[in-house]
Parts: sequence; C-alpha cells; structure tokens
Amino acid sequence: MPDIKCPVNQTLSGLRTAIASGQLPNPRSRRIAEEILDLLTDVAWGRAGGDHPAAIAGLADELAYDETSPGAMATARSVRDALGEHREVFQSHIDTHNCATGDCVRLVPAPCQMTCPAGIDIPTYVNLIGRGHDAEAIEVIRRDNPFPWVCGLVCTRPCEIMCVRGRVDKPISIKFLKAFASERALSDHHYRNPAKEPDKGKRVAVVGAGPGGMTAAYYLAIKGYGVTVFEALPVAGGMMMLGIPRYRLPREVIDREAAMLEELGVEFRFNTRYGKNITLDSLKSDGFEAVFLAIGAHQSFKLNIPGEADFPQVIEAIDLLRRVALGDRRIPGKHAVIVGGGNVAIDAARTCLRLGSEEVTIAYRRTRAEMPADVEEVEQAEDEGIHMSFLTIPTAVAGTDGRLSGLACIRATLIKKNDSERLFPVPVEGSDFVIEADTVISAIGQRIDLECLSDLKKLKWTRRQTIQTNTVSTETSIPGVFAGGDAVTGPATVVEAIGAGKRAAEAIDRFLSGIPQPKMPPVPVRRTRVEWMEVPASTKMTLRRPEMPLLNLERRRTTFQQVELGYTENVAREEARRCLRCDICLRCGKCVEVCRDMMGINALEFGFLNFDQPAATDFRVTAERCILCGACAANCPNQAIRIIDRGDERLLSYCGTILNRHKLEHCEECGAVLGPPRYHEFLRKRTQAISPAVNILKLCSACTRRQAARIHVDNTPV
Amino acid sequence: MAFHKGQKVVIFRKSEDEGWGEHMNQYVGLHGIITDPDTTKNDPDALIEVSVEGKGTHRFPQDCLRLLH
Repeated sequence: MPDIKCPVNQTLSGLRTAIASGQLPNPRSRRIAEEILDLLTDVAWGRAGGDHPAAIAGLADELAYDETSPGAMATARSVRDALGEHREVFQSHIDTHNCATGDCVRLVPAPCQMTCPAGIDIPTYVNLIGRGHDAEAIEVIRRDNPFPWVCGLVCTRPCEIMCVRGRVDKPISIKFLKAFASERALSDHHYRNPAKEPDKGKRVAVVGAGPGGMTAAYYLAIKGYGVTVFEALPVAGGMMMLGIPRYRLPREVIDREAAMLEELGVEFRFNTRYGKNITLDSLKSDGFEAVFLAIGAHQSFKLNIPGEADFPQVIEAIDLLRRVALGDRRIPGKHAVIVGGGNVAIDAARTCLRLGSEEVTIAYRRTRAEMPADVEEVEQAEDEGIHMSFLTIPTAVAGTDGRLSGLACIRATLIKKNDSERLFPVPVEGSDFVIEADTVISAIGQRIDLECLSDLKKLKWTRRQTIQTNTVSTETSIPGVFAGGDAVTGPATVVEAIGAGKRAAEAIDRFLSGIPQPKMPPVPVRRTRVEWMEVPASTKMTLRRPEMPLLNLERRRTTFQQVELGYTENVAREEARRCLRCDICLRCGKCVEVCRDMMGINALEFGFLNFDQPAATDFRVTAERCILCGACAANCPNQAIRIIDRGDERLLSYCGTILNRHKLEHCEECGAVLGPPRYHEFLRKRTQAISPAVNILKLCSACTRRQAARIHVDNTPV
Repeated sequence: MAFHKGQKVVIFRKSEDEGWGEHMNQYVGLHGIITDPDTTKNDPDALIEVSVEGKGTHRFPQDCLRLLH
C-alpha cells in the first residue's frame, strides 16, 4: 500500500521548518508565515472555517511580495501549490473534521468510533453524558445514526469489543449509556431533527422500512430530497419491529424514532410490496430518480427433515416473531422445541415462554462453545428456564393424524474433517431419542426473498444469493438502483444496516448530483472535541462497569415487559467517567518510552497501549515513581498528557486522569516556581558534579547562575 | 474454522471470494477483532464482520482470516 501523506500536515511541517531554519530573515515575512502557520493549524485541528483556504492563499500571496528573499518566495510557492493541488483535501478537513491519512493527529477517530459501522463519535457523546448533557449527546449520535434509542437497546456493540478500556478491565458500557441518554432526551422533549437543506426538487424511493431503509430516508431528507418509503408490512421498523421481541425493544421506541422521520417530511406507504404493488418501472414513471433497496432477509431456511411439511405445528421462528410483533398472543404449543443456535432461536424460545409454553427446549447440533448466539442472550434465556439440548441433530418430525408429538433426534459428536479446524457434528449411531413437543420451530437462518425482485432482470446476485453491490458506494448493477442492509450482507446487525443506509444516502446524493462515487469506505467524522473530565487515578482504576438491572424472573417468564431496566442517573454519569478518551490519546507510547528510556523513571504503567498483547495497567503506580518532570507531556503529539501548575501544586494529567500531584517549591532567592521536591531532587542529583556549591539552596536556574558566578568571582584569585 | 466474537485475527492474505473488494487490499497484514461472526449457524462460508485496527469495520470472507494467539 502506498504511504500516502496528508498535504495539510506536510504543508504545516514544511512551513515550521522554514520558520525555524531561518529561511525567512525578514521580520515581516516571518510574521506572515506565522499567521499562515496558525491558519494551517486550525485546518489540521479541525477548527477552521470556510474562509480559511482563501485567507491562507491571500497570506501566501503577501509572502511572495518579498522578492529579496528566495526563502520567502519558495515558502509562499509551496503553500500556494499545496492549496492548488489539494484544495479538496483542505476543504474536507474543514467540512468533515477528518484526515483520511491520520497524519493530522487531532482528527484521528478513537477505536470505538472507527469500529462502529455507523461511525458515531462515541467518546464525545459518552463524555457529554458524563457531564449531564444528554440532549447534546443525542444530537451528536443522531448526526451519524437516527436511531440512538433502538441501538441503545439492541446494538451488538462492536464498539465495546474494540474499547481500549477493555484492555484495562472491562469496556465502557457504551450501549447502555446511549439508551440512558436517549430515554432522557426524548422524555424531556430534547430530541430534535437537524435543519434540512433546501429542497433539491428530486425524489428518491426507499424500499423497506427497516433500519437501513429508514436511515437512508433520514439522511436523504436532510439533504433536501423528497423521500418515500415503501413497506410491505403495516408498520415501520423491519426486522427491528418483527425480528426483535418487545421485551428487548419496546414498540414505542421504534415508533418514536420512526416518527422523527415523518417530521422531516419522509412519506411512508405501508402495505406496499415491491414486485406486487410497485416495480422499478412504476417507480420511475412516478418520478423517482433513484431507488434504494433495503428489503431485508425475511425468508427462513427449511429443516429438510421428514415430516416437516406434514404438520402445521412446524413453524418458522421468523414467522412466529412476526406474528407476535403484530399482536398475536396465541401460544404456539405447551412443549416447544426450537431448532438452531443463533440469536433468532433464543428470541423464539424466550417468546414461546412468554406466550405460555410450559417447556421450551433449544436443540442445537454443536456445543455451547460453538453456539453463535450472544452469550448474554443465552444466559438470560437459561435464567428464564429455557432448556438447552446440545449435540442434538433433528432427524424427523414425529406425530400421528396431523398432530405433532415430538422431534426425533440423534446425539452428535464433534470431529475435525480433513485439514479444517472446524468441528463438524457427526451422528452417534444408536443414540436416537425423541424430544416430546407439540410445536417445532425452525430457526436455522434467513435468506432474502428473491422472487419479489424478479422484475430486475439486470440485477446481479452473489453466490450467497444476496444482492451484489459495490460495498463502498452501495451501487448495484443497475444504474440508479442502490442496495444495503441484510439484502446485501445476509442476516446481520441493526447498526450495520444503519451504516449501509448512511452510505447509500451519500452515494445517492452523489449520483443525483453527478459527482463520482468514492473508491474507499468513508472514515468516521469527529464531531467535536469535548473537554475531558477530571478523575483521580484511584477512582479511574476502581470504578467498575455496572451491571444492568433486570426485571424479576417471574415477570420475564410471563410478560413482554422490557427485561433490561436501564441505568440510574448516578450510575450512568459514573460509568462515563471510566472512558479513557482515546479520541485524544493516540496510544503511540511516546510518553512511556521517554519516561522509561530517556528519564530512567518508568512511572507510566500503560499496558493498554498494546493492541495485540496488552499488559497490566495501573494509573496509581505513576504517583509512586513520577517526579513530575514533564518529559512525557513535552513529547505527547496530541497534548493528551499534560503538566499543569494549579495553585501551589503541579499535576500530571492523562486525558483528565490525575496521575500525580505534588506541592510546588519556589526559588529561595526570587520566588520563581521550581517544581515539586522530587523533581528538584532529581535535578540536584544530576547536576551535583557541575555546581555542588549551590545545591544546598533551592534556586531557579537564573539564580543558580548568579550564585555560581558570585562563587566564581569570590574564589578566583585576582 | 468457526470464528467467535472478540477473537483477534490477522488478515493474512487477499481472498479470491467475490466479497473481497479492491479497497480491502490495503488491509492485508493488519490485525483486527471479530465483531459479528455468523450469528445464525456458524457458516464457514459467511462473510463475517471484523473491525480492523485503525481502518474501520468491514465484512471479510473467512478464508483470508487467521486467529492471533
């Protein structure tokens, strides 16, 4: 991969060198160059405005007037050339607060933000929540994700997997903080849509009112397009509404967030199925200039075992969940067996329990370790009394006279085949058994409905039977038709569909504006840089990730009430204080190296800096060894670690975590600040050989020089 | 190999799979964490979600991933 450099950063470095190396002998030229430097720093730090490029160009012209100085001429030329050649990059730094190369370190997103498929500025909103600014936090989230509350309840939280705090103890509870702030902001009527751009006079059709479709609709509406969402069902939400049970995601949450789209002018047409009520041609003739297909993956795979088609009591998990989501509360059977090991199997099992099934069993071919469902979901299901039958392969559906009586199974053992490390379930001969049941529910995966898109003859499909798209731009093989969500990825996550919807809105905007599509996926945008919260090192280490309070078991087994009850205010604010602020600290490790290798002190036990093999971290250790010399702070490229003199104390702060603090000493001659005793002692030892005579006094460097000179005069024979 | 959420992997080579985009060439050699494996049936053929350190989250064919121990 070519080593691409950021032209903003390169211009900045070049200018710094020109000033420092004396290439600009004329004071006026130096002043102009320093003004350019300030403006370029604004661009590199993401705080520049729209008129910065013009101002930089104007100053460069001024600098070029100094014809007597070849250095000034060359410097001006290099600035003007950089601006001319890379105007788009400069503008992108200003508009998006984003540096694609990562050279402008202030603009590098934190790992959590980079991980989020929707690219939400997580450190910013977590810290806003910590400060009690819930409405502002939601505003930050909604710039990248129109469904903060939904995601606060059901996101698979990839951000937490990448959270650097997880290398210290446990990741920040990002998902639950989002849910807390959403609930607060919505109940306080602080949920607001951003201002819409002027009407572009163009219409876009979105097929499917799931998370992907609605996200695309939201961002397209903000960009000024007329958007209509066509949905086959009578409600908005797609898989959020139909595939996720109400005890995890209450309907009101989806309804409230979907209503925000209507407020933006998005029109919903329910009970309108693509392929039946509308086609691409009909949409085009209705004036839609682009189409986004977000139809999801709503069809189930069959079990393909004898008897499956013979009994009406064999149902598909997605059908059951859909039926229940739309209000049907009939019990599917007293003894239910769910076949599968994924999240849908768990959801179906827990739903059966709530509908009144007395015995619910999940039959899975492999063991708990291979089970693809989320560990938390499995634990909650078992808490509620759902029985797991591992190493169980269904062989036939048993029953008589159209009445199902059980699921015939055979025990499995796991073996390795060929060179594969994957374990395959193989039946154990003679181990047949029957699980008594009056309903069997298959939950072995979903696929997309190919039939409904049969009018799109030119639409290309992958060998996985998903829509083939350009993964960067979401374009399909048909110009003007874009696709995203489960229909492209296969069954995936809500937040991934949201990310795809956002990318599609950007791509559709480009398509309708005649702008070429990008070649690389977008880099998440830093929305702002909020000040860190000050936390003592001991608090930072001892604060623990809070447990989520759950509804009592009896209610969980009998009602569809929300199981996770949410954090209280104190818990949420405290949890936000655990954030390490990786949007500021880049984990380059320079501070640790300088402290250990240059100063020989080794006071920074920052084991979390290593991604592959994190070692122990303890912020409290610093206070035991640190001399507050400031070498770490001086070498930090992003001012993440700072030395602060406050009152009569000197503090060492790492992104707000107070690692060390000591009383300051003052010069006994002039009263100037000397630093803390440890630092002074360190210096005394280092300089003992050079100026032993003045070491008995605490003096600043100026007074030391004066004292040394006096001693020199007194002792030198005339 | 069935991958699980939270496992660290290296993208050790390009894949011939149609799910491999040209822009993914730059990720070869980088490390990442599995954020969304196939949560339905451990399908070894499924595209799985990996967050690549410093490069964002993308879906990869499994034949280009190797576990980091």
